[in-house]
Formats: sequence, C-alpha cells, structure tokens
Amino acid sequence: MKNRLRELRVASGWTQANLADELDVSRQTINALETGRYDPSLPLAFALARLFEQPIEAIFEDDQPAVEHAKRRSETTVH
Amino acid sequence: MHDGVMTSNLDTKNSSRGDKARAKKYLVEFLPAMLAYVVVLLLVVVFGDLTSNKPSRIIWALLPIVPLVAVVWAVVRHLHRIDQFQSQLMYQSLSIGFVGAVAAAVTIGFLEIAKVNVPLAGWMIFAAGMLSWVLGNAILLQRKS
Repeated sequence: MKNRLRELRVASGWTQANLADELDVSRQTINALETGRYDPSLPLAFALARLFEQPIEAIFEDDQPAVEHAKRRSETTVH
Repeated sequence: MHDGVMTSNLDTKNSSRGDKARAKKYLVEFLPAMLAYVVVLLLVVVFGDLTSNKPSRIIWALLPIVPLVAVVWAVVRHLHRIDQFQSQLMYQSLSIGFVGAVAAAVTIGFLEIAKVNVPLAGWMIFAAGMLSWVLGNAILLQRKS
C-alpha cells in the first residue's frame, strides 16, 4: 500500500528510529511501512493518524481503483 | 542541497531506543540460558556415560531439558515483546523451519524403512529445522525489510 509516511516523518524532523519510538514499534517496521512492503494493522494505522493529526486516508492510499472495486462487488453480489 | 543533507540525516538506519532495549532484554534472558545449556551439554558428554547400562544415564540424557526450558522461555518472552511486523516475520520463518524439520524427519523415516542406517537421526532433524529457520529468516528479512 502506498503511503506518505516518509514525507510526514521528514516534515516532522524525525528519523525512522524516532518515529519507531513514538509508536512503540521497531525501526524495521517503519522502514517496511515506508517502502510499502508491510501494510499496518488498524490500531497501528490509527496510531499513525493520531500522531500526524491526519485522517488515515490522507496517509495511506488505496491501491485498488474504485471502479475495479465496484465491479468486483457487483460480480460477487448474489441476485 | 541543505534540505537534501537534512533529509539524508533523517534517513539513518540507526536502531531506535525501543529496539535497543528489546534486544538487551532478550540477550540478558537468552544468553545465560544458552550458556547454561552448553555447560550442561558438556557435563553430559564428559560425565554422563550415556552408553553404559546404568539407570542414571536416563537422568543424564534428560538433564539438558532443564536449561532448554529457560531458552524456550526467553524466546517466548521475546516473541511477546516484538511488534506485529517482526512477529509476522518470525512466525513465517518458524513455519519454514518446521517444514524443513518435518521434511528431514519424513526423509530419514523412509531411509530407515529402506534399512539405511542414518547416524544421529534426531540431531539431523534438529539441524535441518534450525538451518531452514535461519535461512527462511534471512530470505524474509531481505525481501520484506
């Protein structure tokens, strides 16, 4: 999942280690989040949103286009 | 240029205070337990006389379980301390290690059915499991972090 974590972290003047301490996770986790190799759990996403005072959707970008999502929903709906 | 320098300073790969504290706690609990295990193993090898017919040989053979419990306790406590991403990596690599150990056990089992003597079969299974775990962990770390 694409996100603005690195941008927000740098804007706050934090290293990955600083941000990791703020969230009580490892630096490795912050790195994996920033590189899009790990999607956070909901509690971690909310913790990030609280910390940066931004809504979750302003930090994380949904990779799945809305049209594709709607199409998939209509395919799986039982008539 | 100035901004670039500042940004690169913020992209250092130094461990966080929490990482260091967690690593220290793990080492403080794991190392003495592992050291005790190695000492007990040496005592068993030197004084255990496992190949004799004495009943005490069974106690000697089972003695390493005591420090091993401490090793397991240290690892379990570490698993509770690490975060979700790290535990995900750990469980995935442990699964790879489990598959490696089971594959070795089944292979050795078939070899024994075919009357091929496999020396130190238990240790071979242990080594296969540990090796798969370590390799799995290294590959996952490379790919995901």
